[in-house]
Amino acid sequence: MLLNIIKSTTLVALASCMLNAGEFNVQAEKDRKALEDYTVAKFQDAEKNRDKFFPYSTDTELKNNIKKDIKAEEFAMGNYAFSIQGQFSYNEIKEMPPYEELIELGEEMYNSNKAIQSCFPKTDIAGDYPFFSQSKNEVVTLTSAINDCLVKAGQKKWNEKKGKMPILQAYFSFQSMESEKKVDIKIPSAQAAAAYERGKEYYYTQRGYLKLSCATCHVQGAGKRVRNESLSQLFGQTTHFPVYRLKWGKDKVANGLGTLERRMAGCIKDQGQVPPKTNSEQMKELLYFMAYMSNGMNVDGPDVRK
Amino acid sequence: MKKLYSVLAATGLALVMSGCGSNPVPTPSSDKSEILNEKTLCDVNANGIENVLATAAKYNKIAKANGVEFKRLGMTNTQYIDETNKALKSGAKKVVLLNKKGKATKNSVSVEYATQRACKFAVSALTQAQDGKNTWKAAVPGDGFKY
Repeated sequence: MLLNIIKSTTLVALASCMLNAGEFNVQAEKDRKALEDYTVAKFQDAEKNRDKFFPYSTDTELKNNIKKDIKAEEFAMGNYAFSIQGQFSYNEIKEMPPYEELIELGEEMYNSNKAIQSCFPKTDIAGDYPFFSQSKNEVVTLTSAINDCLVKAGQKKWNEKKGKMPILQAYFSFQSMESEKKVDIKIPSAQAAAAYERGKEYYYTQRGYLKLSCATCHVQGAGKRVRNESLSQLFGQTTHFPVYRLKWGKDKVANGLGTLERRMAGCIKDQGQVPPKTNSEQMKELLYFMAYMSNGMNVDGPDVRK
Repeated sequence: MKKLYSVLAATGLALVMSGCGSNPVPTPSSDKSEILNEKTLCDVNANGIENVLATAAKYNKIAKANGVEFKRLGMTNTQYIDETNKALKSGAKKVVLLNKKGKATKNSVSVEYATQRACKFAVSALTQAQDGKNTWKAAVPGDGFKY
């Protein structure tokens, strides 16, 4: 009798765990779908829906700069999915992208570092990060995974924002794009779901002396103009990292590429707050949430931004 | 019948073990701690510069520990407090603002203004974080944000 109970308990527990594994992302999936619906509705016809979504934009701006009827998957391009003027200059830059030689450099770095090759035998992995490690009970980003790998092999950590780190990530991202990989973020446990929720709270909480949340600009503010730039949207925001920013690369091309952590730290500074450390739990959970919002979209990096 | 009992017992035990039925995602709780009043606390005329600067240092330490310290144009609030303290000790009337590398810029503000700003930054970082616990969901599509 006791043996039977133990056997059945184990079986039912295993089955229950397997069932639950698919359920920890229920809230995240609801959030992602709601964000997708909002983003698609917002850009369906900006001119027609100006009162609802763009009350302060001029008619000319909406007519000449915001595309209509954008499909959900097109948002993987970031704000170039909707910004007509932005896309014009983007296409010109893309004819000879400044990061091209850096992808090649990333490939050389990969081929010459045995430790990296052994930690990352597959190179089309950009869409699989960040993930929640059950053994470490924390979010692992591509940046933290690379540095952990280097440290394990007795090598020095790389700068988490610029330099070698985004160059290697650009190679991974390019390989993922070439293999038509999609963003595939999983929430395998209650702990992972809690990490996702903390990242979400961080994203939507007002902070800094300007009292802005990330969402102020990239959810409610997406598509609106700041000076001459259209604000990008959260939906599809992480697909194209690392990015080459013209601003970052103006003195030295190799510094032009930056990780998502570098961009987020800059964004949080712009809100008027000291950003969390690039390898902190807060930063990693923020990226986990953001990446989940791009789940199912094509990896589209590296890319170029102003 | 024995088999049925054993299956029922096993199912119950398994549900308890796997945490089924409970919400796996904790909802953020609202902390009911006292809300600080920055106007009263940071009034230089009523409290005096030294006291207001001490208030700034006290609350900024908490803000920093909670990861919500303010930063303006490359200068953290800790730097505001430190630079104001230095100016007070040296008898300077102005506090020179620093750039993101910590080097002096051409810009400066009065000691009174720097003190008040440092205090307001320290206090509002905390009140904002407190308010944020109850307001952030209002911006989430599919949750509090309706369009």
